[in-house]
Order: sequence, then C-alpha cells, then structure tokens
Amino acid sequence: MLQVMQIMSYWLLLLYFITFAVYSYDFFADKKFLHNAKRLFLFVTLLLHAIYLVERTIFLGHLPIVTQFEIFSLLAFAIGFTYFMLELLTDIRGTGAFILIFSFIFQTQATLFIKDDYLANTLLQNYPLGTHVITAILGFSAISIASAYALMYLLLYKNIKTNKFSTIFKRLPNLEILELLNFYAIIIGFVLLTIAIVIGFTWLPSAFPTFSYWDPKIIATLIVWLIYGVEIILKSRKNIIGQRFAKFSLYGFIFSILSLLFTSTILNSFHDFAN
Amino acid sequence: MDILGISINHKTASIALRETLHLSVDEIKEFIPILKENVFSEGFILSTCNRTEIFGIPKHDNVTYKSIQNCLLKFKHVEGLSSEHFLNYFSCSAVKHILEVASSIDSLIVGDGQIHGQVKDAFHLSNELDFSNTIFHKLYETSVRVGKRSISETLIGQGAVTVSFAAIKVLEKIFSSFESKSALVIGAGETGALATVHLKEKGIGKLSIANRTLSKAESLAKKVGGSVIDFNLLSNSLEEFDIIVSATSSDNYIIEYEEVKLMMKKRKGALACIMDIAVPRDVNPKVAKLDGMFYNDIDSLNVIVNENLQKRKREIPEVNKIIMEEMTTFFKWSNTLDVVPTIKDFRDFFEEIRLDEIGKIRHKVHDYEFEKVDNMTKRIIGRILHYPTKNLKRLSETGTDYETAKKYSDIVRELFNLDKRNNGKE
Repeated sequence: MLQVMQIMSYWLLLLYFITFAVYSYDFFADKKFLHNAKRLFLFVTLLLHAIYLVERTIFLGHLPIVTQFEIFSLLAFAIGFTYFMLELLTDIRGTGAFILIFSFIFQTQATLFIKDDYLANTLLQNYPLGTHVITAILGFSAISIASAYALMYLLLYKNIKTNKFSTIFKRLPNLEILELLNFYAIIIGFVLLTIAIVIGFTWLPSAFPTFSYWDPKIIATLIVWLIYGVEIILKSRKNIIGQRFAKFSLYGFIFSILSLLFTSTILNSFHDFAN
Repeated sequence: MDILGISINHKTASIALRETLHLSVDEIKEFIPILKENVFSEGFILSTCNRTEIFGIPKHDNVTYKSIQNCLLKFKHVEGLSSEHFLNYFSCSAVKHILEVASSIDSLIVGDGQIHGQVKDAFHLSNELDFSNTIFHKLYETSVRVGKRSISETLIGQGAVTVSFAAIKVLEKIFSSFESKSALVIGAGETGALATVHLKEKGIGKLSIANRTLSKAESLAKKVGGSVIDFNLLSNSLEEFDIIVSATSSDNYIIEYEEVKLMMKKRKGALACIMDIAVPRDVNPKVAKLDGMFYNDIDSLNVIVNENLQKRKREIPEVNKIIMEEMTTFFKWSNTLDVVPTIKDFRDFFEEIRLDEIGKIRHKVHDYEFEKVDNMTKRIIGRILHYPTKNLKRLSETGTDYETAKKYSDIVRELFNLDKRNNGKE
C-alpha cells in the first residue's frame, strides 16, 4: 500500500506537469483539437488525485491534513478542482495555464518532501479539525486562484497599454472579466478563511494545551485575513479598482505564501501535528 | 469549355479608371441585352468598386477578349484605356478566376466577406435577365459553395482588417459589455460615422457625437440614435465617457494631456479608452502614460490590421485547395455535357438497328419466340455497349481534360455517323 501510494504520488506530479504543459501549449498555439482534450487531462489528473487522497486517508487512518506537504497536496487538488469547476461553469478556457501552475508547484513540493510514515496526534481524527483545515485549504486555494487572475489582469493590462497585442491579448478574457473573477475568488477565499479562523478559535484552545493566541501561524493567517478583508471593503467602496486592485491581490497572495512557508519551516508552532 | 472573360480590377487599374468602367445595376440591365445580341449566349457581369468582371460563353468563334473590351468601352463611352488594364481569361483560367473572386482571395482586402453577396447578386441579376443557362447556373452553385467553404473551412475571414474594427477588438479586451458603457465620437466624417455604426452594432449603452459643424453632428446623431455634445465644451464632459473615438481633420490636438489627466482623476481610476484614428492625431499621445487610460492611434491599430491580413494571406493555399476541388467537380460535370448526348445517340443508333432487324421477323415467328429473340438481342446490345459507354463516361468524369473527352466523343460520332443521322441525312 505504501509503495502504491508513493508511485501514485510521482504519477500525480507527472500528470500535473502534463496537464499544465497541455494548457500552456494550447494557450500559445491555440490548437482546436486541444480545446476539449486538455480538459480531459485535467479530469484524469484530479480523479487520480482524489483516489490518492482517499487511499492515503485509509492508510493513515485520518485525513491527510497533518503535515504542510500533505496540505500542499490538498491545495494542489483544491486549486485544480476549483479551476475545473470554474472552466465548466464559465467556459472560459484560456486561463488554465496561469492557475494550474500553482497546482503543479504545490504538488511538486508535496511529492518530493511528503512523509508517508509518521505518528499523528490522536486529536487529528476528529470532525472540527477536519472542517478547520479543509476550509482553510479551500480558502488559500481561492486566494491562489484570485492571484492568478490578478496576474493575468496585469499582463493583459500591460499588453494593451503598450500596444503589444501578443498571445496574452488574443487568448485571455477581457480586463473587466478578469477583475470580476479576481474579486469573486477573493470573496470566496475570505469567507472560507473566516470559517476556518472561527472554528480554530473556538476549538483549538480546548483541544491543545499548548495553544497560544500569539502562535505565528495564527498571527500570519489573521494578517492574511485582514489584508483580504480590507481589499474587499476598498473594492466595494470603489476606492481601488483596475490595476491597483490586481496588485493588491497579488501582494496579498505573496504575503500569504511567504508567511505559510515561514511559519511552517522556520518558526515553531503547535500547528505542526506530525511531531 | 469556351468560357471567355475579361476583368479590370485593383491589380490592373487605378480607382479612377475602375470608376469609369463601373457598371451600376441599371447599366448592367442595359448592357446584358447588348452582350446577348452580339457576344455571349450566356454569362454574368460583376461590378463593384474594386472590379468589373464580364464572363460568358461566346456566341461564335469571332468573339475575342478585344471584342468584349471594346463592347464595354463603347457602352461606357470611355476612350484611352488600353488592353494592359484588362486581364483576360479563357476556359479553365476563367472558371478559376471566377472562383478566386467568389472565395475573396482576389479581393483588395483578402477575405472580405462583402464579395460573397456581390457575386450572388451578379448571378441572380444574370438569371433574372435570362442571361444565365446550364453552365452559368452550375458555375453560380460552385461559386457560392466555394465562398461558403472558404469561410467555414479556413481562417480567411478571421480577424479585424479595418482600423475601426480593430479598435472594437481592443475595446472588447478591456470591457466585458458595451451595454453599460458610454462612448463619445468626435468627428462626424466618414470614419467617425463608421465608428458610430460599429459601436451601435456592439450595443453601446450611450452614444454621443461632437463635431465642429454642429449640423453634421446632429444629422449623424439622429441617424444612429445618439446625443450631441458641444464641440467647444468637450473637456467639461470627458469624464462621462468610457470610450472616446476621435476622427477629425484637425491639424492640432483637440484633447490635451492635462484635460485627460483631469478626466481620469474625476473617474477615480475607472478604465477609459481613447481611440485616436485621426491623421494627424487629435489627442496628445502622452495620455497613454496615465493609469487606467488606454490610448490607441492609427499606427497601433494598424499593427492588428496588418497581422490579421498576413494571417489571412497565409490561408490562401488552403482556399486554393478548395478551389481546385470544386473546379475538378465542375469540369467533371461540364465534360459530361458533351459526352452524354454522344452516349445517348450511340445507344439509340444500336437500338434502332436492333428494332429494325427484329421487326423483320415479327410476323414469321410465334409471339413467345419473338419475345425470346427480343430479350436476347437486348442483352447482346447491352453487352456490346457496356464498355464503350462506361469508358466514355470515365473519360469525361476523370480530370479536367476536356479536349481528350471531346476527342473520344467526336471519334464515336464520326465512326457511327451519329451527326449525319441526327441531321436526317441518312
């Protein structure tokens, strides 16, 4: 079982790479035959990833949400799945490469560094923790997608501004749509992070004797939550629009990724359940 | 096939010369009876701003390119035009040229869809005036098919190839919908009018027009259902517009950097776009530096136009493939036109002999015996004529070698005296 899981992990990495490559190739080459085929690649990748997560849950006896690399794998899945649903609902197919690159990066980290044999805290096998972690992961997925739209916005903005009319100009949806998708993704991310934080504050103090409100992960997450909260208010009041809004989203995402990496690797936190 | 034709178009003559030979619908209606009387048994005339094409089946051997040209020049009372301004076509090349025109690869703007309708109209007019018969009916069907296939099977009609349309394409990359947007068109000349039409077609929410001559602005506004803005007070209302199209003939800037800066300040960062399609430019290009402001002049829009034109030109080989396929089908069909009567006469000839011979024994044998002989002779004739018929059909249907098919048809007619029989000489 362990060996199968390891093989599947490498297969997942390969599939994410192929899917990302196919989406990128279609973005630049605009081949008709890839318009539907690329979606099939993504579907197969997500299906295998779902099987992998179920298998891992059965093997470990708890949800694979304990180490940061398990969370990275879940993030890769959540981003891919969210994008897949968005593509199905909106039929905007030109943005996949910009979003699936995140899935590929997260899954690369997960495949290379994930541990399959560790002792997990028994507290992790309960319902509130699962909800807390899954909402947090989905929230981070949403803000990752928002940042991808923000990046697309800035690239297209620059293209039109400089009269380049490159592939970016031809293949991306228009600026207003990208701004709207960015905003929606941020709202979804903010709501999910709010749920994760509320559950965390109500459940974690009673579950962990070492719980502290000054835990670096909690502070970092609160800052991320605040950044996006402020962004939503400013956007709703039309204080920031267009390029500034896109930059705000991108900076928020960069901060959230850096803080996640920093608090997971350098600082000590009671959130590291693998030990 | 004896299709003969002449063409004067953008490749051979200047617009001034083309204009002198342009035929209006009324003139075509007047000219076709003249052609019918002296030149062609059937044919068609296509006359647009970029070309005049006259094609037909000559009534007799004396009809030459020169006689068609002279006929046209005489009709239009034009002198001083030489043969070098005309392109001449015969047989295969004539059909190929008609199909190239119909596919729009011969147009001034390659892939210009307007030509499809113009070719259709020309054939319809010809039909209406009883100038179109079997061959030109078929040629009409083939031309329409080539036009449709070129559009659906290739990218010949893709992409914006006019500055106004390219401007719309840029706007579509900025705004998701035109319905909630407001546009100002400065200049009520031809370019300005075209811009209003494009914006209206895209469903612009609010359209305003400003022009130095107020009456012109009012007239255009009335035509497109827009409002009028006082040209002298333009800077006061710039911030109201998401899209500004400027196409005046002014020698100086009519919108300055400071005015646009103030406009963007009032818009609080909301995106806006200025399409400066005037030469010389109407808007200070420095405005492009302002955050949230997209500025395009005619040069930047021409980048899109030229790129799309190049793309369309790259599709020409694909369209040529379609033309070749359709030409093959057309000539297969046309070759059978000569062979089919030969096959019929040939079979009739044998049938007559058979009937003549069995008629001689009609009253000498019993009915059942006669029936047997009748069936037997039918089978014999059928078997004798099977290969000659099949081979004649094959010769006519394979390839576009009209001459070979005709040669075989003539040999059969000569060997079996088919023409003399038809003329009642034997």
